[in-house]
Amino acid sequence: MQNEQEFSKAEKFWMNFKLYQLWRFIVLNAKIYTIAVQSKFH
Amino acid sequence: MAKVLVIGAGFAGHTTALYLGNQLGRKHEITVMSNRDVFGYVPSWVWVGVGHMKPEQTIFKLKPVYDRMHIKFVHAAAKEIHPDAGDQFVVGEEIGTGKEIRWSYDYLVIAPGPLLNFSGTPGLGPENGFTHSICSLPHAIKTRDAYMALCERMKKGEKVKIVIGTGHPGATCQGAAFEYVVNVHKDLLKKGLRDKADILWLSNEPELGDFGVNGVQIKRNGIVQKSSEFIKSVFNDHGIRYQVQTGVTKVEEGKIHWQNYEGEEGVTEFDFSMLIPQFKGQPFKYIGKNGEDVSAKLVNPAGFVLVDGKYGLPYPELAQTPEAWPAQYNNPTYPNVFAAGIAFAPPGPISKPFTNKNNLLIAPAPPRTGMVSGVIGRVVAMNIVDLIKTGKMTHQERMTEMVAACIASMGDNLWDGNAVTIVMRPVVPDRKKYTNEFGRDLFISHLEMGLSGAWMKFMLHYTFIWKFKGLFGWKLIPE
Repeated sequence: MQNEQEFSKAEKFWMNFKLYQLWRFIVLNAKIYTIAVQSKFH
Repeated sequence: MAKVLVIGAGFAGHTTALYLGNQLGRKHEITVMSNRDVFGYVPSWVWVGVGHMKPEQTIFKLKPVYDRMHIKFVHAAAKEIHPDAGDQFVVGEEIGTGKEIRWSYDYLVIAPGPLLNFSGTPGLGPENGFTHSICSLPHAIKTRDAYMALCERMKKGEKVKIVIGTGHPGATCQGAAFEYVVNVHKDLLKKGLRDKADILWLSNEPELGDFGVNGVQIKRNGIVQKSSEFIKSVFNDHGIRYQVQTGVTKVEEGKIHWQNYEGEEGVTEFDFSMLIPQFKGQPFKYIGKNGEDVSAKLVNPAGFVLVDGKYGLPYPELAQTPEAWPAQYNNPTYPNVFAAGIAFAPPGPISKPFTNKNNLLIAPAPPRTGMVSGVIGRVVAMNIVDLIKTGKMTHQERMTEMVAACIASMGDNLWDGNAVTIVMRPVVPDRKKYTNEFGRDLFISHLEMGLSGAWMKFMLHYTFIWKFKGLFGWKLIPE
């Protein structure tokens, strides 16, 4: 069953706020790279 | 000099070949046998399927890469595998000439990608059926053309029904289908046609956002969030209807027949549909030294290669046994035969399977594509290097240890695009190591939607094509 769950206006704002998204881009890249590189040592 | 043969040049096979060529290519004979002479960057076929990327941007010729990496390339379709000691070889059919090729090996890596089993669902698929697929480049191109024709109809004012999801009760790769449905939504929005389309997500997942991996769970501000809630928000936000717990059983022109968990049978009408088929192993013949069929020692009934996993455990036990998942991906009977990517037989499903009252098993198969394929390809390559140099394997990585990152784009525009970034560790829950109810590292696992994901998806396309071309620094880029 579908419910009325949707993203809030604030969430949508941050999703497309360029400066914040640039910060997220850096953080996410660093996070993914760091954990993915650990795999190389297995 | 050792002879290593890799069958297949997709994410798994090509990754294996690159590492082998890099480590052994000058002193040993590394050969790739593939029925395709190009590498295809599969994740971007989603964009091909909506006409946002040219097909030629997603492929490159393999031979020049292999020439640089000291790897031989045989453009042939493998047909038979003869694994018995003393006379180990693969028989293939050369593409173009049809000539039979016999290639001997000391180590064999089976990584040919999946057989797209459209015939598993009557009426499914673009060749002999009524639905479309983005699982191969020709299919993605055909899907794009059909989608464009649909848009033309919508421009004339026609209202249409679009159904996207899985086309078999045991299908996998829900992530690719999810990415396609949100890209179609975004594209229609940009074209001003969204109000002309009723879009339905139809899937065999136990719940939304399961993706065949039992969902993704994260901890944010001390609260556990689940992908089911997240994807529900995405679909509600986009006005995409959804129907999960459903196995497609048959397709006719404009009609999809299905059964759900309750055993109800139903029909959904469509004007355009992209449904992922069931995946099976490639139908190679496995022949012993006396000409006998040795398939039972090498593959399961679906054609996936049996490796060092524990097979046959019932789901509740498997879910509590992380060590049941293979670590080194070689066959117990023929230890010099490895399987990588979708080719290896998983010990069972990751998501909870369900059999309805009509005895229909609705169970997403474990995804072994993308990052998982690449990691396994590297582990296999490094173990073959070990075996040749020291005689002992030192590398291992189970899917219960593996991290996976997945970026599901929602439009490719760098200004107003969007994407869901999913990180999970491990891919298969390990309830012994992570004692929470999900068996996952809730600190590392991550779920986020935003423009940054669109940038990452775009960056990954070019970064990975750089890596797969074996260009400067390719090893620094993780799988």
